Amino acid sequence: MTAAELLSPDPLLHLLRRATYGPTPAAVAEIRRLGAAAWLDAQLDPSSIGDTVADGLVARFPWCTATIPTIRAAVTSKTLKQYDWTPVWQVSFATFARAVWSKRQLLEVMTEFWSNHFNVTCPFGDVWDSRADYDAAVIRPYALSSFSDLLKASARHPAMLTYLDNRSSTKAAPNENYGRELLELHTVGTPYAESDVLNAARLFTGLTVDDTSGMYQYDPAQHAVGAVSILGFSHPNGSAAGGEQAVLALLDYLALHPATARRIVTKLCVRFVADDPPVGLITSLVKVYLDNRSAIAPVLRALFASPEFAASIGAKTRTPYEDIVATLRTLDYGPEPSGTKAIESLYWTCSNAGQAPLAWAPPNGYPDVAAAWASPAGQLVRWNAHLNVGAGYWPATLVRPASLLAAFAGSPTPATYGALVDAVSDRLLQTTLPSPQREALAGFFGKTTASPVGAKDPAIDWMFPYLMAMLLNSPTFALR
Amino acid sequence: MNEIQCKRRTLLAGAAAGLTATLLDSRFAFAADPTGSRDVFVLLSLRGGFDGLSAIVPAADPDYYALRPAIGVPQKQLLAGDGFFGLHPALAPLLPYWQAGTLAAVHAAGQPTPNRSHFAAMEELERAAPGTSIRTGWLDRVLGGFGSPAGFGGVSVGSARPARVLAGGAPHLAVASVDGFKLDGDLDGRPIAATMAKLYQGAPDALATNTGQMLGALGTAKQMQAAGYTPAASYPGTDLGNALKDVARLVKANIGLRTATLDCGDWDMHEDLGAAVSGKRFYDRLNALATALAAFAADLGPDGMRRVTLVTISEFGRRIAQNGSGGFDHGYGNAMLLLGGNVKGGKVYGRWPGLAASQLIDGDLAVTTDYRAVIAEVLRVRCGLADSSAVFPGVTASTLGLVSA
Repeated sequence: MTAAELLSPDPLLHLLRRATYGPTPAAVAEIRRLGAAAWLDAQLDPSSIGDTVADGLVARFPWCTATIPTIRAAVTSKTLKQYDWTPVWQVSFATFARAVWSKRQLLEVMTEFWSNHFNVTCPFGDVWDSRADYDAAVIRPYALSSFSDLLKASARHPAMLTYLDNRSSTKAAPNENYGRELLELHTVGTPYAESDVLNAARLFTGLTVDDTSGMYQYDPAQHAVGAVSILGFSHPNGSAAGGEQAVLALLDYLALHPATARRIVTKLCVRFVADDPPVGLITSLVKVYLDNRSAIAPVLRALFASPEFAASIGAKTRTPYEDIVATLRTLDYGPEPSGTKAIESLYWTCSNAGQAPLAWAPPNGYPDVAAAWASPAGQLVRWNAHLNVGAGYWPATLVRPASLLAAFAGSPTPATYGALVDAVSDRLLQTTLPSPQREALAGFFGKTTASPVGAKDPAIDWMFPYLMAMLLNSPTFALR
Repeated sequence: MNEIQCKRRTLLAGAAAGLTATLLDSRFAFAADPTGSRDVFVLLSLRGGFDGLSAIVPAADPDYYALRPAIGVPQKQLLAGDGFFGLHPALAPLLPYWQAGTLAAVHAAGQPTPNRSHFAAMEELERAAPGTSIRTGWLDRVLGGFGSPAGFGGVSVGSARPARVLAGGAPHLAVASVDGFKLDGDLDGRPIAATMAKLYQGAPDALATNTGQMLGALGTAKQMQAAGYTPAASYPGTDLGNALKDVARLVKANIGLRTATLDCGDWDMHEDLGAAVSGKRFYDRLNALATALAAFAADLGPDGMRRVTLVTISEFGRRIAQNGSGGFDHGYGNAMLLLGGNVKGGKVYGRWPGLAASQLIDGDLAVTTDYRAVIAEVLRVRCGLADSSAVFPGVTASTLGLVSA
């Protein structure tokens, strides 16, 4: 059984599995109504999509959008303690809530993509006052904009300057951490020389954080002047006053460097197409990227329209985070009516499964290939979550249908075990499973697929959540 | 069906068969130890910045009491003094092991360069390859050196969250507890695991392999759960006590454990570290650590201890001079503890750099022994990993004689 054979061949469902965190009944209905092109147009223009449920959830985490001055002022007015982790936790929890319940799904997926690419670990104490603003003012506004703008916004944000130590870099002792990761992780990848790192580190001296306000500042007194040469970029860097402009020129150069184009496009293909994406697709998307001066939307449009994308059904495996989020989405459970306990508990489920959103510690971001996530213990956490979340054992406060049987098997109740398995798999997995799998699931209840469903059978009563859970444990759901 | 598929199907069938065998034959899990006589390497991470200068006190260094006037550990309270170092009184539960020669310390150990950020220092501690682009955890590379054993070869105990130090290509398990490692709902008459084994027959290789490993580990855990565990010592009811008890249980179950890692946190004592008496913060924390480790050693007994070497690490030591809040800020050089039947204990290893102003690194104890060199020596002498160059690039194993061959 190939991966492609385990999933529905419907191209609209394929697009939903890749460009969102997984199908919901409403998303399936919408993409069928709009068609792929109009659906993608809307997703690429997220402000055109009303998002009241997610807006309401974000409002439950008021610090997750707070600016640095707002957080600092709250410390002054004693609403928050100095170095309080509340804002960073709220960013983490809100990220999870949005992934599940936002209708702006492609924005959420790309927010995760760039949060990994420009990783600033969250939670992390040193960015207690700046991480929320980094999410709200850097990653989200530019997630579907241009790579060049995103790169420049990240480079001058206190969160990045803190995380990669540039805030403490001085002309006397340049700190190479940011300079190295800028080249190796954020832009060109590994084809750099040590001298490029040294030059970049020198050029970036002076970009720092004002300790009093917590805000970005360019401090010419700490800028190391003198000509630099970095991967074909050269600049006289003759004055301390002009250091910041020289930095921006470098960033513009790097954003459009062919190696950067290839690296960004390859990562997008790994996210959306396959762990080992076709070289031909990468090459054609590099051209789109460069022709559009690093604009992100044209690359995504070309990617999703490509024959390579269409041919990639089943070529991606859900990561632990994608699994938990997709579980909630296909179950179509609503958030708890008020409060945040269930969202927090689900965040910790992701953490236990190995992938709490934004929490990757090293600067390279979470891995995005299946091999990195093969974890027996992590899979156990996921399978236990399928049962517990699906059955409503925990969290118990999500809004669930009054009858799980009616919601997932339809009514009237299917007449045979085969029809029962098919109805629930069609609803949860948008496809019908191969015969041996159907037979195995009927066998769990001591039946065959041909067995009639009796009115008092446990399978349609207290054991029904087991069927739901086992379908969510299936290889079909493990893929996207 | 190609050869790989054949093997995978055999593996899955084996996993399903193992589940059935569980109910019939509990000897399955307790077969001969496939690791032979090589020690289980146990890594205990003291998170937050352990104050090695309070635990293993350099009492004869003239600057120690001068720099720690209020919260230096008074000489008369020290245990097992050797004329220079003495042990903090809260380590009393471990004194028998120190005296019997199965507990040792290495002082002025740490990372090759100072890093006083918890986050960054912990990251470097667990990556352990500064100046390289290696991103895996070093214990993952150790497992690789052991031949990437499956099942319970590499285990982090105490949390289901994957341990950073194990991140990488070698299979490993994160087990909150042995008794808690189970598939919810999988009870008699509800054969979820066996049904899932059938669903993954013929699944794509990577999914089938991972599922086979998971079901196999579940089967092993189920047998251990059915067998129960009565430790040979009384553990404290702490997280650390529970985790160490599970490590001892895994060691004694002979299920192929090669390395285990676990955490003991809350060492970040910037304020009110306290005097060396019960009821004070550092004393109580250290005493809890010592009590749990003593229970672990007693539970393993001489036979078990001969197959285990435990090493402690921490992201950094603490500043030598106390701050205005009666605590210590983030520092550098630190003490490591080694516990095991083959440890040549009862002494403090390493070269003491001194605490005079000119001997400090930015106000901190210098590092004279790279923690990686210590671990490499243990791995080489006790754990059958002769060449640790792929684990710790550019680091030479120490030859301190910490453990006997």
